[in-house]
Amino acid sequence: MRELEAALARICGAWMAGRSALEHCPAEWRSAIEGQHSEAALASLTGHATSVLFRAAPSTTLEPRPLLPTLSLPVIAETLRPRFRRILSAQKSGPSIERHVIDLVAARGRSVHPADWMPSPRDDWAPDVYAPWLDWVRTESKAKAADSALTIESYAHWSWAQRRVALVELRGADPAAALAIIAAKAASEPAERRARLLEILEIKLSEADAVFLESLADDRSERVQAMARAYLARLGRIAEAGDLATELKEMVELGKVGLINRRTRLVIRPLKTSAQNARRHDLFKLVSLAALARALGVSETQLLEAPPDGTADGIVAFVQMVATTGSDAARRALLDRMLADDASPVSHLRAIAPRLSAQERRALAPRIMARDADDLETTLVIAGRELGAVPSSTMQASAAYGSLSKLFENARDGADSRRTHENAALGAALNRIALLLDAAGAAEIAARAVSWGLSPADPKLDLLYLNAALKTETNP
Amino acid sequence: MGLTRGAIEAMAPDQSALTAASALLKPAKWPVRARSGHLIWGECQGSGANPYRVVADTDEQGSKCTCPSRKFPCKHAIALMWLFVEDGATFQNADIPAWVNDWMGRRRKGAPAPSGAAGEAKSLGTAREAIADAPPDPKAEARKRAASEKRALDTRRSVRTAAEDLDGWISDQLRTGLSGFLNEAGERCRRIAARLVDAKAGALASRVDEMPSRLLVLPAEQRIDGAVAEFGKLALLTRAWRAAPDDPDLRREVIGSETREEVLANAGSPRLESLFEVLGERTLTRRDGLVSQATWLMNLGAGAQRFALLLDFFPASAGRRSGAFVPGERFIAELAFYPAHLPLRAVIVRRDQSIDASNRWSDSWPDAAADPLAELAEQALAAPWRTETPVLLPAGRICAEASGRAWWRSHDGIVVPLRNAPSALALGASIERAAGVWEGARLSLIAARTNWGRLGFDA
Repeated sequence: MRELEAALARICGAWMAGRSALEHCPAEWRSAIEGQHSEAALASLTGHATSVLFRAAPSTTLEPRPLLPTLSLPVIAETLRPRFRRILSAQKSGPSIERHVIDLVAARGRSVHPADWMPSPRDDWAPDVYAPWLDWVRTESKAKAADSALTIESYAHWSWAQRRVALVELRGADPAAALAIIAAKAASEPAERRARLLEILEIKLSEADAVFLESLADDRSERVQAMARAYLARLGRIAEAGDLATELKEMVELGKVGLINRRTRLVIRPLKTSAQNARRHDLFKLVSLAALARALGVSETQLLEAPPDGTADGIVAFVQMVATTGSDAARRALLDRMLADDASPVSHLRAIAPRLSAQERRALAPRIMARDADDLETTLVIAGRELGAVPSSTMQASAAYGSLSKLFENARDGADSRRTHENAALGAALNRIALLLDAAGAAEIAARAVSWGLSPADPKLDLLYLNAALKTETNP
Repeated sequence: MGLTRGAIEAMAPDQSALTAASALLKPAKWPVRARSGHLIWGECQGSGANPYRVVADTDEQGSKCTCPSRKFPCKHAIALMWLFVEDGATFQNADIPAWVNDWMGRRRKGAPAPSGAAGEAKSLGTAREAIADAPPDPKAEARKRAASEKRALDTRRSVRTAAEDLDGWISDQLRTGLSGFLNEAGERCRRIAARLVDAKAGALASRVDEMPSRLLVLPAEQRIDGAVAEFGKLALLTRAWRAAPDDPDLRREVIGSETREEVLANAGSPRLESLFEVLGERTLTRRDGLVSQATWLMNLGAGAQRFALLLDFFPASAGRRSGAFVPGERFIAELAFYPAHLPLRAVIVRRDQSIDASNRWSDSWPDAAADPLAELAEQALAAPWRTETPVLLPAGRICAEASGRAWWRSHDGIVVPLRNAPSALALGASIERAAGVWEGARLSLIAARTNWGRLGFDA
């Protein structure tokens, strides 16, 4: 075999250099290549021998990757996968609803098939159930011991994604234990991950966390410092200098509202120049709610007795300030006041969303939906991952549902160019509705859309159909 | 707006489209006809290997078809609507299949008749008469047959000369240096391909014309071996054809293929009735301006005939043609294979509706040889000129070297180089079986059964 291999190498070498290779032909082949076009005949034998007798081999030892782990949630039914893929691919031409769809599937107790969607290494937003896949795509080989708990000692043996999930769980059950691990290990993590660890302290934030938070005043990361300051502010510990609060105080005013029950109201009027408005906007980010209240000479409770009034961007900045630095009581009070005030647009409340618990999100979604004038965008922000839970009756009472029939008319009746635009708007509206509705509601609205003239096979109904088919035991 | 005969006449692009559609009104040409609400769909077995899938909206009168026709609506869509208007009861109520759903976002709405046809009177009745009024003419048929036989003789003579030329050309390329050939492969192959076309060796010409594409996708260090293999296979093919010019397999490789009708009429065409799974589809735009659409099927039933290939060609200028099947789809069908040393290319004789795999047949893929390369070597003895051979791989994993080069590795340690970089999931899946096409030096995976279910590999 070695002789043949050497002969074949000489033959190919001759042809590569542009010489006849007949002199290198093995003796056993000579009779077969005699006659016209011997070179071509030799190529036949050489090619065949090379492909059959010799096999390619990798240059290094092949090590297969670990198998992609299975997740704790079952994969969606095979029959739903084509629809799921269509929904994701349709997003290429419009605003992405990928995260919402992934959240909806997880909210229904299912995971997606890895051939249809897999998180990228940077997809930290993915629901916790996908943590093993995140580890896998990041090629983190650390595997937690099956029956071990996360402790300071075992911390290093857990992958980052699994660690985060375990800490979130631990923080809910035993805040002190989670704090102990975070306090011991945060310094060894890079800034981005330190910030992610700090986020976990937001769950059941209490005075017990203050000492650790104060220790972060000199953290290498400004983002971590800012987060620690905000959390301390929520605990009523004012860390920033009072002169900023005093400067902000000069840019707002306190008013009174109510004839009988006089309440304090923060008024944020437009300032003379855009530079002044921008400065005030920055100050809302730098000053805590407690510091502003103190500068204004009122308590936090008084400052939030009535919904703020004034320019929209000023109110949004104030809401952001409360969301970042306000105590739980303060942000709850602001939410209640603004929801009770029909004149306050619910879109101003979007900044509060990250502070809401799952329970609060579910409870708030119908109230927000009833007044959502932004095509349910605010409702989606408030609902967060708590998708697919709104009953049809609630949806039908919303402004967004009211405008659906108008969208149907426009999509049907417009001129071609306009119709394309209206069709896209109708598709987006149906998607937003589909993300929020419960399974029964999704089926009902899909049927209604068909009765309004949409083809039952129209891809605009895909998300409604997917929602309707993603039934859970708790949501039959 | 309901669908009527008048509406069909109005939407038809011209009278010839109606006439062509009337030839498709035989129910036998439509193994599938179904409806849901105002949607109707069907599958029409045309002249190609792959059936055409057609969907139409009887309300909006929009339609879509997988055929490459530039007429809209095409004859298949017109025929489907025509059948529905004549006898809607023959359309069974059914759930909307996934492929109809897929197309709903892409279909074209019903359009007014094109301006060029505005003055033309179009009639379904006239179209039907045009078909019915074509009486057979025995004398004309005999003349046609005689002319055809003469053409065949002429063709054989000119192809024999061209095959000699090709062998000489191959020897020249080898003697003057393969490095130079690889630098100018496109131009040189185009020139000899043009001579082969003139000599009526159309299939050989296409193969030579496509050779540079096959070589250039190889890693640089493999191109010399690749060129030797390509030249060797060509020389084998011409030599084999000269020895047996009437061999249908060799004739197909050198001159051209039989038509679907010829395959069906040929008593020597092997036939197989079984459960088939659609492995996948490969669409390739060739340098000669044709697009080849290859649908790979795998026989899940008994028998040694494991794979089948439905192959169609259409002009690239006709636009993109949609796939006839959904990968993973299964159906019971009778196939007629083109007679060959290793039968592979086939046409569908008869096909049942797609079936649920769990009903009657085993859900698993058939067993694979432990050493697929040894099996390929055996097959290479029967048809050594073949450039693509399907193969079933046993259980294993897909691995990647640090350089990114991918390999399939069996549990027994047999390795096969892969053509394309695998997806992340393919690298993390346990492969129970995999099907691919061996291209002489590398394997192009089509589909696999894994611990995550079926995986498709895009070409």
